[in-house]
Amino acid sequence: MNFSLLDFLESIFFEFRYAPLIIQVAIIFVFVAVTLTLLAYFSILRRRFRGSQRDKKITRLNELIDDLLIENVLSQDPETVETPGQTAETAAEAFHLPQFSKRWGRQVLIDRLLNYRNNVRGAMGDEIRTLYLLLELDKDSFKKLKSRKWNRKVRALNELSSMEIGVADVIILPLTNSRNRELRAAARHAYIKLSKNEPFKFFDLATEPLLLWDQVELFRIITTTRHIAIPNFAQWITYSSNKSVISFCLKLVVHYNQLKAIPAVLKLLDTKDHLLRAEAINCLGKMKIADVEDKLVYIYNNQPLNCQIEILKALGRIGSGKHTEFLRQEFMLSTDFELRKHAAKSLTNTEPPGSELIGELMETSTPENQLILKHCMNPLIKF
Amino acid sequence: MQRIWEIAGNFFETAVFIYGAVLLVSYAVLAICSLIAVRKWVMSEKYQGGDVLLTSPLAPGISVIAPAFNEGLTIIYNVRSLLTLKYVRYEIIVVNDGSTDNSMEQLIKEFSLVPVDFAYNAKIQTRPVKKIYKSTDPAYAKLTIIDKVNGKSKADAVNAGINAAAFDHFVCTDVDCVLDENTIIELIKPVMKEKKKRVIAIGATLRVANSNIFDQGVMVGVRPPKQLLPRFQEVEYIRAFVLGKMGWTLMNCVPNVSGGLGLFDKEITIRCGGYDHTSFGEDMELMTRMCRYAQDNKIPYAIRYIPQTLCWTEVPSTIKIFGRQRTRWARGLAQLMHTHFSMFLKPKYGRMGMIVFPYNFFFELLAPIIEFAGIVYYIVMVAMGHINWPTALVLLVFVYTYSIMITTLAILYDQITFRYYNSWRDVALLCLTPFLEFFLYHPLIVFFSLRGYYFFLTGKKAGWGNMQRRGFQVAPNR
Repeated sequence: MNFSLLDFLESIFFEFRYAPLIIQVAIIFVFVAVTLTLLAYFSILRRRFRGSQRDKKITRLNELIDDLLIENVLSQDPETVETPGQTAETAAEAFHLPQFSKRWGRQVLIDRLLNYRNNVRGAMGDEIRTLYLLLELDKDSFKKLKSRKWNRKVRALNELSSMEIGVADVIILPLTNSRNRELRAAARHAYIKLSKNEPFKFFDLATEPLLLWDQVELFRIITTTRHIAIPNFAQWITYSSNKSVISFCLKLVVHYNQLKAIPAVLKLLDTKDHLLRAEAINCLGKMKIADVEDKLVYIYNNQPLNCQIEILKALGRIGSGKHTEFLRQEFMLSTDFELRKHAAKSLTNTEPPGSELIGELMETSTPENQLILKHCMNPLIKF
Repeated sequence: MQRIWEIAGNFFETAVFIYGAVLLVSYAVLAICSLIAVRKWVMSEKYQGGDVLLTSPLAPGISVIAPAFNEGLTIIYNVRSLLTLKYVRYEIIVVNDGSTDNSMEQLIKEFSLVPVDFAYNAKIQTRPVKKIYKSTDPAYAKLTIIDKVNGKSKADAVNAGINAAAFDHFVCTDVDCVLDENTIIELIKPVMKEKKKRVIAIGATLRVANSNIFDQGVMVGVRPPKQLLPRFQEVEYIRAFVLGKMGWTLMNCVPNVSGGLGLFDKEITIRCGGYDHTSFGEDMELMTRMCRYAQDNKIPYAIRYIPQTLCWTEVPSTIKIFGRQRTRWARGLAQLMHTHFSMFLKPKYGRMGMIVFPYNFFFELLAPIIEFAGIVYYIVMVAMGHINWPTALVLLVFVYTYSIMITTLAILYDQITFRYYNSWRDVALLCLTPFLEFFLYHPLIVFFSLRGYYFFLTGKKAGWGNMQRRGFQVAPNR
């Protein structure tokens, strides 16, 4: 039997050796394809098996953590606690279990504590933070921060910033300009939350643009972080060479209604970048700066379409009624549909629906303009 | 004479060999690129959730456009499903393209619609809009319904939606598609995360919903299709989206964003003239024109794909409807190649002209023709007794195993992205499908492609290309 199998293999090898090159290549590729297919099946099986095992283990561990937290921390009456951190100290002893001596177990514990910390405020939230420190989980986070892998660094930064554990500026600041987008974003978020003195210092150093996504996330962190010192954003609007930083600061100026930054915003009306100029006009309109109306109307004719639209919107938002005639002219005479629509919107913002001007416009306008007016006055149509 | 045949035969064999080798190498390259792109996406998603877009005042506005033609069977559920989308600032525009059933009456009644004086600006020419409706119920304030004269194409209906859209980006979908509730969030992310380029279109994976379970338009259960034909299409979709499109994404060479779901830059779309209502492959045609416009105007652009399944759609479950759909797609491809052939191998059009277009020409358009010619040649050779059977068998096994490998890798990448199917049986069923695909499904694709090319050459007339729907499985009452 052995002899015949060897014979068979030998004959196959012989056939292969003297086969044309194309057949040799094809046979090799058949083996490669079969091997890769089998590897893919194995990988699917392994992923699914390990995934389901991991899910089960995490569920079990999370249940244990929940029980321990409810029993030792969350069910404690804050009024019976004499000193802050007392509850956490008692709870820490309950967490000295073999499950939390392994790295993955500690990671599950960190993730669960973070989850509670993000959802529980006040004294209970502080107890969870103390528990994190007492269990020396911050050491795990700092260890990850030193890792060479960016994803571990991101994880560490998220953990430390959520737990409000201070990290030296010299460690975080270089990361705020990292070439890796996720790491850069995490470092900026952490810096804002953790920096004691100048949480916005990285604005000075930002060489990489603040992407719209970064801006949305930063905006949330800045506007939701407690006890954050809000600086005058005019300094970056005036001096930053990073356009995305200026753009972001304009949005923050609007959010914080920072009137002291208005002179800096006004200077942007002369910038050559029309996108930035449009954002500055938008900012002025949203802050309802009536003094700027004359200037906006004065520069209107020299502006590109996006800036003209922003000027019309700003006049409507300010709503002083000082430039109604200008809006009327634009509505009646402009050849661009969008300009007429925005002029009409601003007019209907400043003039009540039954006013004399609206009535006159309805009578004298072209059918298309009448439709635009009706569109703008209809409460069912938002945009 | 015999000598001429011999030379022609040798030439054909060599040409097919080179063609096949390049095709297989390009699949291998796509598989590698796709793996890199999928892993990159998975890592990025792990640390950046989209919840921030549910409340942020900085989130860009999005218009969701869904054209409908005679979808009375499911339209209410479909619109309700669209209304469950999660995002802070969006509107839904459903375009009723002159349906002859009771779709419009159902919509008016269900959503308390009233006609409004809407300033509709026809930046793209379409068939006339009859009326535009808004709901008096504040719960449906996001909803706008356009009732227009039938334009005999989906393109015309979408164009009307684009004209009415208020925001700078729009999501185009079919009203019968069921979208994941996070669709808008996931689609806008690549636009917001792009550093230097203008993202003109983003697509996501589409999946087959034939055996999924729905409750009031909301998907409550996911299963691979039970029937063989839809299951073949499921595997084909996974391969095309997760392996193909993700591979192309890494090279910024995405040839097409599917008509089932895509997010587009409205300004560029309008400047390109919108969807071409005479095209049979309007999605691919628009993409080509958008790229062309960007290249002509020196706009650095990007087209992205994400491997996450955001759209579930019902695919044909009978050969007749399937054939109609594939014939139409093939015809669209032929039409596109014919219309934009001036881009072929033109460095001026960058990757579109030098990579995407040649790839589509050689490996999408010509593939069925070459395959058919190969089969005919094979039969002739068999009849003449000129076949070296062991060699032929080895080559056949090679192509067969290679095709199974590529599809299995696609299924693996899909599993890396997300475990959509909970049961082992479901995954095993998917993994076994490629074994039959080669013999049962692929010949159908070749046949219907050739039919499409024939219709293109003969100029046969065609309509909206609507699929007869069976509707989805409904969850039992609880």
